[in-house]
Amino acid sequence: MTDTSEDPEADHGAHGGVTPGHYYGHGLPYLPVHNYPGRIIAIEGTDGVGRSTQIRLLREWLEVQGYGVIETGWTRSPLMQPTIDLAKASNTLNKLTFVLLYACDFADRLEKEIIPALKAGFVVLADRYIYTAIARAGVRGVDSEWIRRLYGFAIAPHLVFYLKLDAEALARRVLEAGGMEYWESGMDMKAGDDIFDNFRNYQRQLLKEYAAMADEFGFRVLDGRKPVNFIQEDLRRQIGEFLQGGGPARIDPSGA
Amino acid sequence: MTFSLLHATDFADRLLYKIIPPLKAGMIVLADRYAFTAFARDAARGVDRHWVRDLYSFAVRPDLAVYFRVPIDVSLDRLLARRVKLKFYEAGMDMGWSTNVTESFRLFQSKVLQEYDAIVPEYGLGVIDASGSITDQQRVYRRLVSERLDGPPAGTP
Repeated sequence: MTDTSEDPEADHGAHGGVTPGHYYGHGLPYLPVHNYPGRIIAIEGTDGVGRSTQIRLLREWLEVQGYGVIETGWTRSPLMQPTIDLAKASNTLNKLTFVLLYACDFADRLEKEIIPALKAGFVVLADRYIYTAIARAGVRGVDSEWIRRLYGFAIAPHLVFYLKLDAEALARRVLEAGGMEYWESGMDMKAGDDIFDNFRNYQRQLLKEYAAMADEFGFRVLDGRKPVNFIQEDLRRQIGEFLQGGGPARIDPSGA
Repeated sequence: MTFSLLHATDFADRLLYKIIPPLKAGMIVLADRYAFTAFARDAARGVDRHWVRDLYSFAVRPDLAVYFRVPIDVSLDRLLARRVKLKFYEAGMDMGWSTNVTESFRLFQSKVLQEYDAIVPEYGLGVIDASGSITDQQRVYRRLVSERLDGPPAGTP
Protein backbone atom coordinates (compact mmCIF):
# COMPACT_ATOMS: atom_id res chain seq x y z
CA MET A 1 0.00 0.00 0.00
CA THR A 2 2.94 2.28 0.49
CA ASP A 3 4.27 4.25 -2.42
CA THR A 4 8.01 4.30 -1.84
CA SER A 5 8.83 4.90 -5.50
CA GLU A 6 9.22 8.63 -4.97
CA ASP A 7 12.52 8.05 -3.24
CA PRO A 8 14.27 5.01 -4.68
CA GLU A 9 17.58 5.91 -3.03
CA ALA A 10 16.12 5.87 0.45
CA ASP A 11 16.71 2.52 2.02
CA HIS A 12 16.07 2.27 5.70
CA GLY A 13 16.00 -1.44 6.20
CA ALA A 14 18.38 -3.73 8.02
CA HIS A 15 21.39 -4.02 5.73
CA GLY A 16 25.12 -4.44 6.22
CA GLY A 17 27.49 -1.48 6.44
CA VAL A 18 25.81 0.20 9.40
CA THR A 19 28.07 1.36 12.25
CA PRO A 20 27.65 -1.01 15.21
CA GLY A 21 25.60 0.48 18.00
CA HIS A 22 23.55 2.57 15.56
CA TYR A 23 20.08 1.88 14.24
CA TYR A 24 19.87 0.05 10.93
CA GLY A 25 17.13 2.31 9.62
CA HIS A 26 14.78 4.88 11.10
CA GLY A 27 15.12 3.28 14.49
CA LEU A 28 13.07 4.54 17.39
CA PRO A 29 13.02 8.32 16.80
CA TYR A 30 12.10 8.91 20.43
CA LEU A 31 15.10 6.93 21.76
CA PRO A 32 18.44 8.12 20.35
CA VAL A 33 21.19 5.57 21.03
CA HIS A 34 24.44 7.13 19.79
CA ASN A 35 27.55 6.89 21.91
CA TYR A 36 26.17 4.61 24.56
CA PRO A 37 28.97 2.74 26.30
CA GLY A 38 27.40 -0.74 26.17
CA ARG A 39 28.06 -3.41 23.56
CA ILE A 40 25.77 -5.93 21.86
CA ILE A 41 27.16 -9.35 21.10
CA ALA A 42 24.75 -11.56 19.20
CA ILE A 43 25.03 -15.33 18.87
CA GLU A 44 23.12 -16.74 15.93
CA GLY A 45 22.56 -20.25 14.76
CA THR A 46 19.73 -22.70 14.22
CA ASP A 47 18.01 -24.72 16.92
CA GLY A 48 20.15 -27.17 18.85
CA VAL A 49 23.47 -25.75 17.77
CA GLY A 50 24.57 -24.99 21.33
CA ARG A 51 23.96 -21.27 21.62
CA SER A 52 22.61 -21.24 25.16
CA THR A 53 25.50 -23.32 26.51
CA GLN A 54 27.99 -20.94 24.94
CA ILE A 55 26.16 -17.89 26.27
CA ARG A 56 26.04 -19.26 29.78
CA LEU A 57 29.81 -19.83 29.73
CA LEU A 58 30.46 -16.42 28.17
CA ARG A 59 28.44 -14.66 30.79
CA GLU A 60 30.39 -16.25 33.60
CA TRP A 61 33.69 -15.37 31.95
CA LEU A 62 32.70 -11.74 31.32
CA GLU A 63 31.34 -11.24 34.81
CA VAL A 64 34.52 -12.60 36.38
CA GLN A 65 36.38 -9.92 34.46
CA GLY A 66 34.13 -7.28 35.96
CA TYR A 67 31.76 -6.54 33.09
CA GLY A 68 28.07 -6.04 33.67
CA VAL A 69 26.22 -8.58 31.52
CA ILE A 70 22.60 -9.07 30.54
CA GLU A 71 21.20 -11.82 28.37
CA THR A 72 18.29 -11.34 26.05
CA GLY A 73 16.72 -14.17 24.13
CA TRP A 74 14.27 -14.62 21.32
CA THR A 75 10.57 -14.65 22.41
CA ARG A 76 11.58 -14.03 26.00
CA SER A 77 9.87 -10.65 26.39
CA PRO A 78 7.48 -10.56 29.34
CA LEU A 79 4.94 -8.75 27.16
CA MET A 80 4.92 -11.21 24.29
CA GLN A 81 5.96 -14.64 25.50
CA PRO A 82 2.50 -15.73 26.67
CA THR A 83 0.92 -14.41 23.47
CA ILE A 84 3.44 -16.14 21.23
CA ASP A 85 3.05 -19.44 23.08
CA LEU A 86 -0.71 -19.14 22.82
CA ALA A 87 -0.60 -18.29 19.14
CA LYS A 88 1.74 -21.19 18.40
CA ALA A 89 -0.59 -23.54 20.24
CA SER A 90 -3.53 -22.54 18.10
CA ASN A 91 -3.81 -23.12 14.39
CA THR A 92 -4.50 -19.56 13.43
CA LEU A 93 -0.98 -18.20 13.03
CA ASN A 94 0.00 -17.33 9.48
CA LYS A 95 3.32 -16.18 8.13
CA LEU A 96 2.54 -12.47 8.55
CA THR A 97 1.25 -12.64 12.10
CA PHE A 98 4.10 -15.02 12.93
CA VAL A 99 6.65 -12.47 11.72
CA LEU A 100 4.90 -9.52 13.39
CA LEU A 101 4.61 -11.22 16.79
CA TYR A 102 8.34 -11.89 16.74
CA ALA A 103 9.01 -8.27 15.77
CA CYS A 104 6.86 -7.14 18.67
CA ASP A 105 8.75 -9.37 21.07
CA PHE A 106 12.03 -7.95 19.80
CA ALA A 107 10.78 -4.35 20.03
CA ASP A 108 9.75 -4.92 23.64
CA ARG A 109 13.14 -6.32 24.57
CA LEU A 110 14.94 -3.59 22.63
CA GLU A 111 13.16 -0.80 24.48
CA LYS A 112 12.99 -2.37 27.90
CA GLU A 113 16.18 -4.44 28.10
CA ILE A 114 18.72 -3.78 25.36
CA ILE A 115 18.72 0.03 25.14
CA PRO A 116 18.73 0.63 28.91
CA ALA A 117 21.60 -1.87 29.23
CA LEU A 118 23.59 -0.15 26.47
CA LYS A 119 23.07 3.16 28.18
CA ALA A 120 24.30 1.73 31.46
CA GLY A 121 27.40 0.25 29.85
CA PHE A 122 26.49 -3.42 29.94
CA VAL A 123 27.54 -6.18 27.59
CA VAL A 124 24.32 -7.48 26.04
CA LEU A 125 24.51 -11.14 25.08
CA ALA A 126 21.74 -11.74 22.56
CA ASP A 127 20.68 -15.35 22.13
CA ARG A 128 19.58 -14.95 18.49
CA TYR A 129 19.01 -11.57 16.91
CA ILE A 130 17.02 -10.19 13.99
CA TYR A 131 18.82 -12.53 11.57
CA THR A 132 16.79 -15.42 12.93
CA ALA A 133 13.62 -13.53 12.09
CA ILE A 134 14.87 -12.65 8.61
CA ALA A 135 15.88 -16.27 7.95
CA ARG A 136 12.55 -17.72 9.15
CA ALA A 137 10.57 -15.15 7.19
CA GLY A 138 12.68 -15.80 4.10
CA VAL A 139 11.99 -19.53 4.23
CA ARG A 140 8.26 -18.82 4.54
CA GLY A 141 8.29 -16.59 1.46
CA VAL A 142 7.88 -13.21 3.16
CA ASP A 143 9.26 -10.37 1.04
CA SER A 144 12.91 -9.94 2.02
CA GLU A 145 12.91 -6.17 1.50
CA TRP A 146 9.81 -5.74 3.64
CA ILE A 147 11.19 -7.74 6.54
CA ARG A 148 14.44 -5.77 6.41
CA ARG A 149 12.60 -2.48 6.51
CA LEU A 150 10.50 -3.80 9.38
CA TYR A 151 13.69 -4.46 11.35
CA GLY A 152 15.03 -1.01 10.50
CA PHE A 153 14.21 -0.19 14.12
CA ALA A 154 16.90 -2.62 15.34
CA ILE A 155 20.39 -1.65 16.47
CA ALA A 156 23.36 -3.13 14.57
CA PRO A 157 25.24 -5.35 17.05
CA HIS A 158 28.95 -4.85 17.68
CA LEU A 159 29.71 -8.51 17.06
CA VAL A 160 27.65 -11.28 15.47
CA PHE A 161 28.79 -14.88 15.87
CA TYR A 162 27.16 -17.53 13.77
CA LEU A 163 27.39 -21.12 14.97
CA LYS A 164 27.16 -23.18 11.85
CA LEU A 165 26.08 -26.80 11.78
CA ASP A 166 24.80 -28.85 8.84
CA ALA A 167 21.23 -30.11 8.87
CA GLU A 168 22.25 -33.78 9.33
CA ALA A 169 24.37 -33.14 12.41
CA LEU A 170 21.66 -30.84 13.73
CA ALA A 171 19.01 -33.53 13.32
CA ARG A 172 21.05 -35.99 15.39
CA ARG A 173 21.60 -33.44 18.15
CA VAL A 174 17.99 -32.42 18.37
CA LEU A 175 16.90 -36.07 18.49
CA GLU A 176 19.37 -36.79 21.30
CA ALA A 177 18.12 -33.77 23.20
CA GLY A 178 14.50 -34.84 23.22
CA GLY A 179 13.07 -34.83 19.75
CA MET A 180 11.94 -32.68 16.91
CA GLU A 181 9.45 -29.96 17.59
CA TYR A 182 6.60 -28.79 15.37
CA TRP A 183 7.86 -25.27 14.67
CA GLU A 184 11.55 -26.17 14.49
CA SER A 185 10.57 -28.60 11.78
CA GLY A 186 8.64 -26.01 9.86
CA MET A 187 5.51 -28.18 10.07
CA ASP A 188 3.43 -25.01 9.66
CA MET A 189 4.66 -24.90 6.06
CA LYS A 190 2.70 -28.10 5.41
CA ALA A 191 5.29 -29.64 3.15
CA GLY A 192 4.35 -33.14 4.29
CA ASP A 193 3.63 -35.35 7.28
CA ASP A 194 7.09 -36.76 7.89
CA ILE A 195 8.63 -34.71 10.66
CA PHE A 196 12.18 -35.90 9.98
CA ASP A 197 12.08 -34.94 6.31
CA ASN A 198 10.44 -31.67 7.16
CA PHE A 199 12.97 -30.87 9.85
CA ARG A 200 15.88 -31.58 7.53
CA ASN A 201 14.44 -29.62 4.62
CA TYR A 202 13.37 -26.72 6.79
CA GLN A 203 16.73 -26.47 8.54
CA ARG A 204 18.55 -26.73 5.19
CA GLN A 205 16.55 -23.79 3.89
CA LEU A 206 17.27 -21.84 7.06
CA LEU A 207 20.99 -22.54 6.66
CA LYS A 208 20.82 -21.14 3.13
CA GLU A 209 19.21 -17.97 4.44
CA TYR A 210 21.87 -17.57 7.13
CA ALA A 211 24.63 -18.19 4.58
CA ALA A 212 23.20 -15.46 2.38
CA MET A 213 23.36 -12.99 5.27
CA ALA A 214 26.82 -13.95 6.54
CA ASP A 215 28.84 -11.63 4.31
CA GLU A 216 26.40 -8.77 4.34
CA PHE A 217 26.15 -8.50 8.10
CA GLY A 218 29.73 -9.54 8.85
CA PHE A 219 28.93 -12.78 10.72
CA ARG A 220 31.92 -14.35 12.39
CA VAL A 221 31.33 -17.97 11.49
CA LEU A 222 32.21 -20.71 13.97
CA ASP A 223 32.17 -24.44 13.27
CA GLY A 224 29.35 -25.85 15.40
CA ARG A 225 30.71 -29.42 15.08
CA LYS A 226 33.71 -28.55 17.27
CA PRO A 227 33.60 -29.35 21.01
CA VAL A 228 31.94 -26.86 23.35
CA ASN A 229 35.27 -25.86 24.95
CA PHE A 230 36.93 -25.26 21.62
CA ILE A 231 34.13 -22.96 20.47
CA GLN A 232 34.12 -21.18 23.82
CA GLU A 233 37.87 -20.51 23.60
CA ASP A 234 37.42 -19.05 20.15
CA LEU A 235 34.53 -16.83 21.31
CA ARG A 236 36.49 -15.61 24.32
CA ARG A 237 39.55 -14.80 22.24
CA GLN A 238 37.55 -12.78 19.70
CA ILE A 239 35.37 -11.01 22.27
CA GLY A 240 38.40 -10.31 24.46
CA GLU A 241 40.23 -8.67 21.56
CA PHE A 242 37.18 -6.62 20.70
CA LEU A 243 36.60 -5.37 24.23
CA GLN A 244 40.31 -4.51 24.65
CA GLY A 245 39.88 -2.02 21.85
CA GLY A 246 37.70 0.18 24.04
CA GLY A 247 34.40 -0.85 25.46
CA PRO A 248 32.23 -0.67 28.52
CA ALA A 249 33.77 0.17 31.85
CA ARG A 250 34.40 -2.75 34.15
CA ILE A 251 34.96 -3.12 37.81
CA ASP A 252 38.50 -4.26 38.49
CA PRO A 253 38.02 -7.72 39.95
CA SER A 254 41.08 -7.25 42.19
CA GLY A 255 39.25 -4.38 43.85
CA ALA A 256 42.14 -1.99 43.18
CA MET B 1 6.83 0.51 19.16
CA THR B 2 5.24 -2.56 20.69
CA PHE B 3 1.90 -0.74 20.56
CA SER B 4 2.41 -0.22 16.85
CA LEU B 5 3.50 -3.81 16.17
CA LEU B 6 0.71 -5.40 18.20
CA HIS B 7 -1.86 -3.47 16.21
CA ALA B 8 -0.15 -4.42 12.97
CA THR B 9 -0.33 -8.06 14.04
CA ASP B 10 -4.02 -7.72 14.78
CA PHE B 11 -4.53 -6.04 11.43
CA ALA B 12 -2.60 -8.75 9.57
CA ASP B 13 -4.74 -11.39 11.23
CA ARG B 14 -7.98 -9.63 10.29
CA LEU B 15 -6.70 -8.92 6.78
CA LEU B 16 -6.08 -12.59 6.05
CA TYR B 17 -9.18 -13.98 7.78
CA LYS B 18 -11.80 -11.25 7.58
CA ILE B 19 -10.92 -8.95 4.70
CA ILE B 20 -9.33 -10.88 1.85
CA PRO B 21 -11.77 -13.85 1.82
CA PRO B 22 -14.91 -11.66 1.44
CA LEU B 23 -13.13 -9.57 -1.19
CA LYS B 24 -12.44 -12.74 -3.14
CA ALA B 25 -16.12 -13.64 -2.80
CA GLY B 26 -17.06 -10.27 -4.30
CA MET B 27 -18.46 -8.81 -1.10
CA ILE B 28 -18.17 -5.31 0.31
CA VAL B 29 -15.95 -4.97 3.38
CA LEU B 30 -16.79 -2.11 5.72
CA ALA B 31 -13.73 -1.38 7.83
CA ASP B 32 -14.18 0.63 11.01
CA ARG B 33 -10.68 2.17 10.99
CA TYR B 34 -7.93 0.99 8.70
CA ALA B 35 -4.15 1.34 8.40
CA PHE B 36 -4.54 5.14 8.34
CA THR B 37 -5.45 5.05 12.02
CA ALA B 38 -2.11 3.40 12.70
CA PHE B 39 -0.29 5.96 10.55
CA ALA B 40 -1.80 8.79 12.59
CA ARG B 41 -1.67 7.24 16.04
CA ASP B 42 1.79 5.70 15.78
CA ALA B 43 3.32 8.89 14.35
CA ALA B 44 1.72 10.86 17.20
CA ARG B 45 3.56 8.46 19.53
CA GLY B 46 6.89 9.25 17.88
CA VAL B 47 7.21 6.21 15.62
CA ASP B 48 8.82 7.04 12.27
CA ARG B 49 6.23 7.92 9.63
CA HIS B 50 8.00 6.10 6.79
CA TRP B 51 8.60 3.03 8.86
CA VAL B 52 4.93 2.61 9.77
CA ARG B 53 3.91 3.06 6.13
CA ASP B 54 6.43 0.44 5.05
CA LEU B 55 5.18 -1.82 7.80
CA TYR B 56 1.63 -1.73 6.40
CA SER B 57 2.69 -2.25 2.80
CA PHE B 58 1.13 -5.73 3.10
CA ALA B 59 -2.32 -4.12 3.43
CA VAL B 60 -4.80 -3.95 0.58
CA ARG B 61 -5.41 -0.39 -0.56
CA PRO B 62 -9.09 0.32 0.11
CA ASP B 63 -11.37 1.27 -2.79
CA LEU B 64 -12.71 4.12 -0.72
CA ALA B 65 -11.44 5.62 2.51
CA VAL B 66 -13.44 8.25 4.33
CA TYR B 67 -12.21 10.34 7.23
CA PHE B 68 -14.80 11.64 9.67
CA ARG B 69 -13.23 14.88 10.86
CA VAL B 70 -14.23 16.40 14.18
CA PRO B 71 -12.67 19.15 16.33
CA ILE B 72 -11.06 17.97 19.54
CA ASP B 73 -13.63 19.69 21.76
CA VAL B 74 -16.54 18.04 20.04
CA SER B 75 -15.02 14.59 20.41
CA LEU B 76 -14.21 15.24 24.07
CA ASP B 77 -17.75 16.46 24.76
CA ARG B 78 -19.22 13.41 23.08
CA LEU B 79 -17.03 10.95 24.93
CA LEU B 80 -17.46 12.60 28.30
CA ALA B 81 -21.22 12.79 27.85
CA ARG B 82 -21.37 9.05 27.22
CA ARG B 83 -19.07 7.60 29.78
CA VAL B 84 -17.19 8.41 32.93
CA LYS B 85 -13.61 7.61 31.99
CA LEU B 86 -11.48 8.16 28.91
CA LYS B 87 -9.44 5.11 28.00
CA PHE B 88 -5.77 5.12 28.97
CA TYR B 89 -4.28 4.71 25.50
CA GLU B 90 -6.97 6.71 23.75
CA ALA B 91 -5.93 9.62 25.96
CA GLY B 92 -2.26 8.95 25.22
CA MET B 93 -1.59 8.56 28.95
CA ASP B 94 1.37 6.29 28.05
CA MET B 95 3.17 9.38 26.75
CA GLY B 96 3.34 10.96 30.19
CA TRP B 97 2.45 14.42 28.88
CA SER B 98 -0.10 15.15 31.56
CA THR B 99 -1.42 13.40 34.62
CA ASN B 100 -4.85 14.84 33.86
CA VAL B 101 -6.67 12.43 31.57
CA THR B 102 -8.73 15.07 29.79
CA GLU B 103 -5.70 17.30 29.25
CA SER B 104 -3.62 14.34 28.04
CA PHE B 105 -6.43 13.38 25.64
CA ARG B 106 -6.49 16.89 24.27
CA LEU B 107 -2.70 16.99 23.74
CA PHE B 108 -2.42 13.52 22.27
CA GLN B 109 -5.49 13.57 20.03
CA SER B 110 -4.50 17.02 18.69
CA LYS B 111 -1.31 15.41 17.43
CA VAL B 112 -3.32 12.55 15.95
CA LEU B 113 -5.56 15.04 14.13
CA GLN B 114 -2.50 16.82 12.73
CA GLU B 115 -1.26 13.51 11.34
CA TYR B 116 -4.66 12.84 9.74
CA ASP B 117 -4.54 16.24 8.04
CA ALA B 118 -1.37 15.12 6.28
CA ILE B 119 -2.74 11.65 5.51
CA VAL B 120 -5.91 12.95 3.80
CA PRO B 121 -4.12 14.41 0.75
CA GLU B 122 -1.39 11.75 0.80
CA TYR B 123 -3.86 8.89 0.32
CA GLY B 124 -6.78 10.80 -1.18
CA LEU B 125 -9.17 10.19 1.70
CA GLY B 126 -12.71 11.51 1.42
CA VAL B 127 -13.53 13.88 4.28
CA ILE B 128 -16.84 14.17 6.11
CA ASP B 129 -17.53 16.89 8.64
CA ALA B 130 -18.49 14.79 11.63
CA SER B 131 -19.58 17.65 13.84
CA GLY B 132 -22.87 17.79 11.91
CA SER B 133 -25.93 15.61 12.42
CA ILE B 134 -25.78 11.89 11.77
CA THR B 135 -28.37 12.27 9.00
CA ASP B 136 -26.23 14.83 7.18
CA GLN B 137 -23.12 12.73 7.56
CA GLN B 138 -24.88 9.63 6.35
CA ARG B 139 -26.19 11.47 3.28
CA VAL B 140 -22.65 12.51 2.26
CA TYR B 141 -21.27 9.11 3.12
CA ARG B 142 -23.88 7.30 0.99
CA ARG B 143 -23.18 9.61 -1.91
CA LEU B 144 -19.43 8.94 -1.74
CA VAL B 145 -19.98 5.21 -1.49
CA SER B 146 -22.53 5.18 -4.32
CA GLU B 147 -20.17 7.07 -6.61
CA ARG B 148 -17.45 4.58 -5.88
CA LEU B 149 -19.71 1.61 -6.52
CA ASP B 150 -20.68 3.04 -9.95
CA GLY B 151 -24.37 3.47 -9.51
CA PRO B 152 -26.74 3.39 -6.55
CA PRO B 153 -26.58 0.26 -4.42
CA ALA B 154 -29.77 -1.74 -3.90
CA GLY B 155 -32.12 -0.55 -1.19
CA THR B 156 -31.06 3.11 -1.15
CA PRO B 157 -34.04 5.36 -0.40
